[in-house]
Amino acid sequence: MTILNNMADLASQKFMTFKNYLYKNYGESPGKMLVHTGVLGWILSSAAQVFAIVINDKIPAKEKMFLIPQEFADAAVNILSFYVVTNSFTSVGNKLVKSGKLLTPKLKKYVDEKQIKDIGKITTDISSGMTGEVRDEFMKFKGGVSIIFSTLGSILSCNIITPLLRNQYAAKKQKEIMAMNEKKDAPQKPDTQKTLQKPNDFVYKPLSMSDYIKYSGSNMRI
Amino acid sequence: MARQAFYDVIPNKVIESEKLRRGIAWVNKEISTPENRLILGATALMSQPFIDGHNKSVDENTRKVSVCRTIAKIVAGTFTGYFIRKGCIKAIDKWSKLPTSVNKAGQKIKLNRLNTLFSPSNAISDLSDAFMQYKNALGTIVALGVMTITNFLIDAPLTKYLTNKFVAASGGLKHDNSK
Repeated sequence: MTILNNMADLASQKFMTFKNYLYKNYGESPGKMLVHTGVLGWILSSAAQVFAIVINDKIPAKEKMFLIPQEFADAAVNILSFYVVTNSFTSVGNKLVKSGKLLTPKLKKYVDEKQIKDIGKITTDISSGMTGEVRDEFMKFKGGVSIIFSTLGSILSCNIITPLLRNQYAAKKQKEIMAMNEKKDAPQKPDTQKTLQKPNDFVYKPLSMSDYIKYSGSNMRI
Repeated sequence: MARQAFYDVIPNKVIESEKLRRGIAWVNKEISTPENRLILGATALMSQPFIDGHNKSVDENTRKVSVCRTIAKIVAGTFTGYFIRKGCIKAIDKWSKLPTSVNKAGQKIKLNRLNTLFSPSNAISDLSDAFMQYKNALGTIVALGVMTITNFLIDAPLTKYLTNKFVAASGGLKHDNSK
C-alpha cells in the first residue's frame, strides 16, 4: 500500500512539474506553442500511420518492409518542412518585436525614455527590465505578432511546400518501381507499363490511384 | 552576420493605426490552435487541390481522384481538428480553476480535486494571458492524443466517403480500369 501511495505521489509530482513547465514555457509564447504542438501533431499522426501498417495483417511482410520506411520518409518531410519554415517565421516575428524593429506607440515611448540603443540589432531585447503596464502591452503585442507569423509559416509549409515535395517524391517512387518492374519483366512485355499489386504479382495496367496514394503519403494532418 | 543583414533590410516601424493594433491584440486573445487549424484548412482548400490538379506525373483519372481525396481529407481533418481541439480546451478550462476563479455570478468557485486537476501551481491569476495560453497548450496536447485515435475512427472513413461523393459529383472516372 505504501509503495502504491509513493508511486501515486511521484506521478502527481511529475504531473505538476509538467503543468508548471507548460505554463512557464507556453504561457508567454503562444507562437512557440503553435509550432511545438504542430510538430507533435505531425509526429503522432505519422506514428499512427506506421502503427496501422505494422498491425495490418492484410499487408504482406514484404510490402511492410517497403511501406514502413516510406512512411518514415514521408513523416520526415512533413515534420522537417513544418518545423523549419514555421519556426523560422515565428522566430522572425518574435525578433522584430524584441529588437524594437516593430513597436506600438506606447512601446516606442518606453524605448525612447529608457534610451535603449541598438534598436533592430538581433541581440537587443527591449523587454529586459520591463515591468508593469508596458510589459503587459509588450507581451500582448509580441504574442499577437508571433501568432500571425507562425500561422503564415504553417500555411506556407503545410499547404504549399509539403504538397509539392510529396508529389515530387510520389512521382519519383512510382518511376523507380515502374523501371524496376519493367526491367524484371522486359522479355515478356517490353512496352507495357506495370504496377505492383501484390509481391511478385505484376498486372499490366496504367498507373492507378492506389499506387498514387501508396507513394504520395497517406498522412492525415491532425 | 547574415541574420543581422536580413533584419537590416526590414525598416523600423511603429504601428500607428489603432485598428491594426486592436487586430493584433485580438489575434493574441482569440486565435489559438483550433482557429489556426481552421485557417490552415481554409487556405489548404485554396492551394492543395490546385497543386494536385496540376500534377502532370500521374494520369488524368488519378489526378481527378487525387484532387477529390485531397479536398475530402482537408474537410474531414479540419472538421475533426477544430472541434476536438475546441472541446479539449474547454474541458481543460473547466478543470483548471485557481483561487482567483469566479463563476458567472461573480462568486468565488469552491476548489476541489476535479476542478483543479489541470491547474499549475505557478499560476497567479486565471485572468492572465499566460494562464489562457497555458490552457490552450494543454488542451491542444490532450486533443492531439484524442485525434491519434479519431484519425482512424472518424477522419479515415469520412475521407473515403467524401472522396467517393466528390468523384461521383465531378462526373466519375473516364476509364475505371484503375480500381
